[in-house]
Amino acid sequence: MAVGTTERGALTHPDVHRLDDVNRDVLKMLTVPGKGWWALFGMCVAGVGLFLTAWFWQIYKGIGVSGLMSPVGWGVYITTFVFWVGIAHSGTLISAILFLFRAPWRQSIYRAAEAMTVFAVMTAGLFPLIHVGRVWHAYWLIPYPNSRFLWPNFKSPLVWDVFAVTTYFTVSAVFFYLGTIPDVAAARDRATGLRRKLYSVIALGWQGTDRQWHHFGKAYIFLAALATPLVLSVHSVVSWDFAMSIVPGWHATIFAPYFVAGAIFSGVAMVITLTVPLRKVFGLEAYLTVKHFDAMAKLCLFTSLIVFYAYLSEFFLAWYSGEDPERHAFWNRLFGTYWWATWTMLVCNGFVPVMLWFKRIRHSIPALFVISIFVNIGMWFERYVIVVTSLHNEYEPFAWGIYRPSIVEMSIMVGSFFWFGFWFLLFTRLLPPIAIQELKEVLPPPMRKKKSPEAAEAH
Amino acid sequence: MTEIKRRDFLKVLGVSGAGATMTGCGPGEVEKLLPYVVQPEEITPGVATWYATTCGCPDGCGLWVRTREGRAVKIEGNPDHPISQGSVCLQGHASLQHLYNPDRFAGPMIREGDRFRQGTWDEAERLLASRINQATAAGRDVMFVGGHMGPTMSRLVDQFVESVGGSRVEYHAVSNAPLREATRIAYGTDEVPQYDIGASDFLLSFGNDFIDDGSVEGGRGLAKMSGVDEAGHSKGAFAYIGPRLSTTGLNADEWVPVEPGSEAVIALAMAAHIAGGNASGPYANLLRAYSMADAASASGIDEEALRDLADRFAAASSPLAMGPGVGGHHRNATAANLAVLILNDVAGAVGRTVHVGRGSTAASAPFSDMADAIGQMAGGGVGVVLMHGANPAYSLPTGSGFQDAFDEVPFKVSFASAMDETAAMADLIMPDRHFLESWGDAMPRRGVHTVQQPVMQALPHFDSKQTGDALLAVASHLGNDLGATTFYEYLRAPHLAMHADDPAGFEQMWQGHLRSGMFGMMGGGGGMGANAPQLRAPDQALTFDAPTFDGSHDLTLLVHPSPRFRGGEFSNSPWMLELPDPVSKITWHSWLEMNPVTAEARGIREGDIVTVSSDHGSVDVPVWVYPGVHEGVVALAMGGGHTDMGRWATGAGVNAMDLLPAAAEQASGAFVTVATTVSVMPTGERRRMATIEGSSDQRDRPIAPAVAFMDLGHAEDDHGEEGGHHDELMELQGFGGVQPVPAEDGAATAFPLPGADHGLYADAHEGPRWGMAIDLDKCTGCSACVVACHSENNVPWVGEDQVVMGRDMTWMRIERYYEHVDASHASHLDVRFLPMLCQHCGNAPCEPVCPVYATYHTPEGVNAQVYNRCVGTRYCANNCPYKVRVYNWYRYTDENVPEPMNWQWNPDVTVRTNGIMEKCSFCMQRIKDAENRAALEEGRDVRDGEIVPACQQSCPAEAIVFGNLRDPEARVSQILESERTYKVLDELINTQPAVNYLKKVTFHEVSGGH
Repeated sequence: MAVGTTERGALTHPDVHRLDDVNRDVLKMLTVPGKGWWALFGMCVAGVGLFLTAWFWQIYKGIGVSGLMSPVGWGVYITTFVFWVGIAHSGTLISAILFLFRAPWRQSIYRAAEAMTVFAVMTAGLFPLIHVGRVWHAYWLIPYPNSRFLWPNFKSPLVWDVFAVTTYFTVSAVFFYLGTIPDVAAARDRATGLRRKLYSVIALGWQGTDRQWHHFGKAYIFLAALATPLVLSVHSVVSWDFAMSIVPGWHATIFAPYFVAGAIFSGVAMVITLTVPLRKVFGLEAYLTVKHFDAMAKLCLFTSLIVFYAYLSEFFLAWYSGEDPERHAFWNRLFGTYWWATWTMLVCNGFVPVMLWFKRIRHSIPALFVISIFVNIGMWFERYVIVVTSLHNEYEPFAWGIYRPSIVEMSIMVGSFFWFGFWFLLFTRLLPPIAIQELKEVLPPPMRKKKSPEAAEAH
Repeated sequence: MTEIKRRDFLKVLGVSGAGATMTGCGPGEVEKLLPYVVQPEEITPGVATWYATTCGCPDGCGLWVRTREGRAVKIEGNPDHPISQGSVCLQGHASLQHLYNPDRFAGPMIREGDRFRQGTWDEAERLLASRINQATAAGRDVMFVGGHMGPTMSRLVDQFVESVGGSRVEYHAVSNAPLREATRIAYGTDEVPQYDIGASDFLLSFGNDFIDDGSVEGGRGLAKMSGVDEAGHSKGAFAYIGPRLSTTGLNADEWVPVEPGSEAVIALAMAAHIAGGNASGPYANLLRAYSMADAASASGIDEEALRDLADRFAAASSPLAMGPGVGGHHRNATAANLAVLILNDVAGAVGRTVHVGRGSTAASAPFSDMADAIGQMAGGGVGVVLMHGANPAYSLPTGSGFQDAFDEVPFKVSFASAMDETAAMADLIMPDRHFLESWGDAMPRRGVHTVQQPVMQALPHFDSKQTGDALLAVASHLGNDLGATTFYEYLRAPHLAMHADDPAGFEQMWQGHLRSGMFGMMGGGGGMGANAPQLRAPDQALTFDAPTFDGSHDLTLLVHPSPRFRGGEFSNSPWMLELPDPVSKITWHSWLEMNPVTAEARGIREGDIVTVSSDHGSVDVPVWVYPGVHEGVVALAMGGGHTDMGRWATGAGVNAMDLLPAAAEQASGAFVTVATTVSVMPTGERRRMATIEGSSDQRDRPIAPAVAFMDLGHAEDDHGEEGGHHDELMELQGFGGVQPVPAEDGAATAFPLPGADHGLYADAHEGPRWGMAIDLDKCTGCSACVVACHSENNVPWVGEDQVVMGRDMTWMRIERYYEHVDASHASHLDVRFLPMLCQHCGNAPCEPVCPVYATYHTPEGVNAQVYNRCVGTRYCANNCPYKVRVYNWYRYTDENVPEPMNWQWNPDVTVRTNGIMEKCSFCMQRIKDAENRAALEEGRDVRDGEIVPACQQSCPAEAIVFGNLRDPEARVSQILESERTYKVLDELINTQPAVNYLKKVTFHEVSGGH
């Protein structure tokens, strides 16, 4: 699209006219919350309670309170882990990669997406701990100096996982924090009392000087460049948890790109799921425009196609391998015990997103919201299908078995959404959910020119 | 937890100190807790002491019991014993759990109203003496009802009964009475003949389930007979004739699925066919009356198939036919057994494979004796009943009237050591000791006389007294002198009398007996072996035609002893309950076996709970769909449905007796187990079965392949057959695809991966590479190895709900794959048993994925598991293609194991905790023990055969051989020279297992080398 330099902001945010408006509209979100927010927050606190209760019960009794069994040693926990890691992807994608590519539509959503990333990694990072049988020894996976010279096994993909996830969390958290500094300073200037003190500390004495902006810009570019490969690496490594094994249905070279595409797919869907209510509740229609959603929908559609292609290629290669364990694993996915999970996955990830080809649907916020929910569900089931159906019918037919998730597992899985929601809701109240300074960059500069009629009325 | 362990340790230390000083002493010694200030002579802490004794069941296998610090921890067979030859059955291994059963009585129990009060032994003995006096004064009988016991105990009981003027009734819940009676009719010898299965080359079992009956000798014989001899290119054939395939039946090469009750007609028709027109002797007329056409119409089997079978049986150089066992006791069971003896006679088996004159009379009492006793009790003629080693309140149907009659008896005494249904009705319980705590002897067969000695001090938790001692004490209260004050003296007396002139020499000889576990082979083992005995004319009228069944329902009910619980006496043992049934692979609960055709016709699926009703009662039980059962038959195992037998057995499953009449077979008086027809109605409810079976179809994967007998010795041809797979690989390579990793020099040193000499595998080229050979042609699927493994390696049991979830902890499972099972007509049978344990892969998928090195490769090629390093990610289990890694989902070892069951733990093996992975270790503790012994005591390397893992030790079939694969002289390496050697799944995933299998050999063609 042809974008004139003076008009590019106008293009993305046609209804925002003055830089002042940005500060006002965004920072008003940080004022006293409404009843709806409290209701949601209360729900999340209760959900976190459920999450922790279930987890502590499991630690107390043993991992047996889950439905896990032999041969399905990984189940809902690993499914949910991969799901949250996947969610975490689009945040950095939008903030870092799209920043480097100067995609004009990212500014309005990247803060929320980044926050989502940080909280999703925080959630995901809990699941390996929830999953292991002896969580009190989980630190053995970290290479730390010890008197017995015991090291973790660097051949194990799980150790790679530890590095990948902690690195990703560190970088995305720092990146997220860095980006908020000028905005927190803006918030500080408006806030009073305790909040002001808090923001003062967080803002690290930001004054908005030319020198500071200069350093900020450099640091931001560097971090973006650092975060970019992580977007690809983290989920590649997570995919290798599976691909490095010999389990039919896991052991496939396609896994890294397949998982990265799936992660972006689910991550963008989650951004849509989160921003639609955010836009509505805080009246941000001027900032989160239909054009933004259109762009996200296109990204969704694109990654959906990659993911669906990966499904088909998996089925084809299973057939092509000529080996019964491979063939059976995929036949079993479609028509075995867990057929419903597979078909849920195929419908939600392969068929529903086809609607995004239509512009009318891409421009309909409610439709996008519904589709994004479908994608979220579908992507959770994708991981469930990969984890569970592959394990339950493996090489040794006599040892086949059927896994049924327990109530404790489901509580922890559901609880993790509340845990995520808890942090996200706090975020919407404590930090500007839309990047003020970057928005201002893309808005038309306040130049003396002929007044637009609306602006004239406003004065 | 640690504190309890420490206490336990101190207790054991004290008790074992006392036990050590008193080993060899009689019971009743004062217990003293002694610390190890002065080292007891026989006990070195940390070093096991072994004692020889004899197992409790009528088979009387010789045992070596391993004790550590004064407690029995493992049971193994005595290799010098002529019958068991070093093996024990499932129940033998599990007898430890009966010894340490927490449900044993704390002391003598005296009834007060509805409850029992614990009393002292003196009180109990005086009470019994006074009640016996009362009964005799009133002219009422004192009746001793006893199960199996050793000859000396039996003599004492006779003497006791005589001294009080009482009577004695023998009662065996599972009894071989029809065979004994048939042998008496045919040969005039009142005994169960001895079958030499190992010596035969064509075995015909008419529903004789000798492996299910726990016959170690039978299992060994079958393996010897039907295991292929590659050098001699021979293999015995085994045909099973019966309506249901038991474990024994599943080992057969062909199955003749006959109508129940048609065995006699088939046997006679076959005998007639073999004899041709020349039938002579007392049964010639009988043989003339039966033709193949009769057999075909009675059995529902094609005439041609029967004729063919008879021809092959006759042509065999050393044939053997075995008559129906307990699972086939119908109303003409004696006739059927007699017919089979006639068939043996006609085929020339008697004297060669059937030995009359050196068998046994053990466990063959007829039910009719008990039925008479019940009549007496009900008639009020009995004043006191002494119940020992029997549980008729459970093992007899309600229709027998036992419970009501028993209730009539004014004073009922039970010698049960733990609660059972009969003891629950008693007025006085005088708890007997377990056979591992008591003195005795056994004579399982004429000429074989073995010692039963206490291997440890009686458990201090229970104030028990061996029944022999109790009877002697009661007798002395009654003023009768039975010749001794303790049973120990009583046992020694006859031996002492023979050496009255040389007491010192006697002591030496006695020590020798105790050490060997044998009183020696007395009376000669030959019997009438050399000359075949002649058939006699029958002295009673027998009906050989099909028997009648009660009711007119559409299915015949077959009640058979459980391979795990037998008649129900072994039910209260978690090892037995959780052991997958060798046939159904179901644990804990009961199931009804039903043919798939029958089930489909009724719209019944596996797991549907059905109501099975006969004219005598009904039970609700889930259906297990089994192709190995005749379409017109449903089968139910004994041993379930205890109402009062300890915490584990009570409520587990249903009691098959609820469906049976109390019918005694006319000829022998045996209890009839195939007695009634039943109807089966779905209740509409379903349950998840507590099974370990995933799928019984190996889907042509290279898991349990077989090779046809005729293809043996044509290795190149075999290669051609397998070529299909290789061609495919080559074809794929044409597209630049799969490149198989070449193994350099065979199994022993195969570590062909690049970098194999680094890191984890660095030392892999030096020292031994431990490995195993498992011969699938010998394995009978009996599952003794599984229990031995549980016992040796402290493998916990998890309970029914956990097995339902799929969390069984067994380190070794016997997989059972059906290849060809057809109940519609006589045809070949192909069922493959595959003992699956950790394969100790050279290229182990579990090792690289563990993030903390909890599993790693030892230089000796063992895939080791470091329990305390395990974090519990379970990645190793996911990546194990054999699924042999099991996980501690809960604290199974703490919560499930009450005191004193925990006394059984093997101190050489870590007891695992919550949240960690475990698996077969190749009995690492035994490897290290043998290595250390060799190094410390003789300063040498370990020799081949010195290391025997628990599974190999217990295997009667000798199917498992462990050793150093890198030693070309080792037995395991020699065995693996066989062309039958293969590795499970190796060609698919290049795991290079250390466990090698030898393919099963079939008489029929097998497809595709699998």
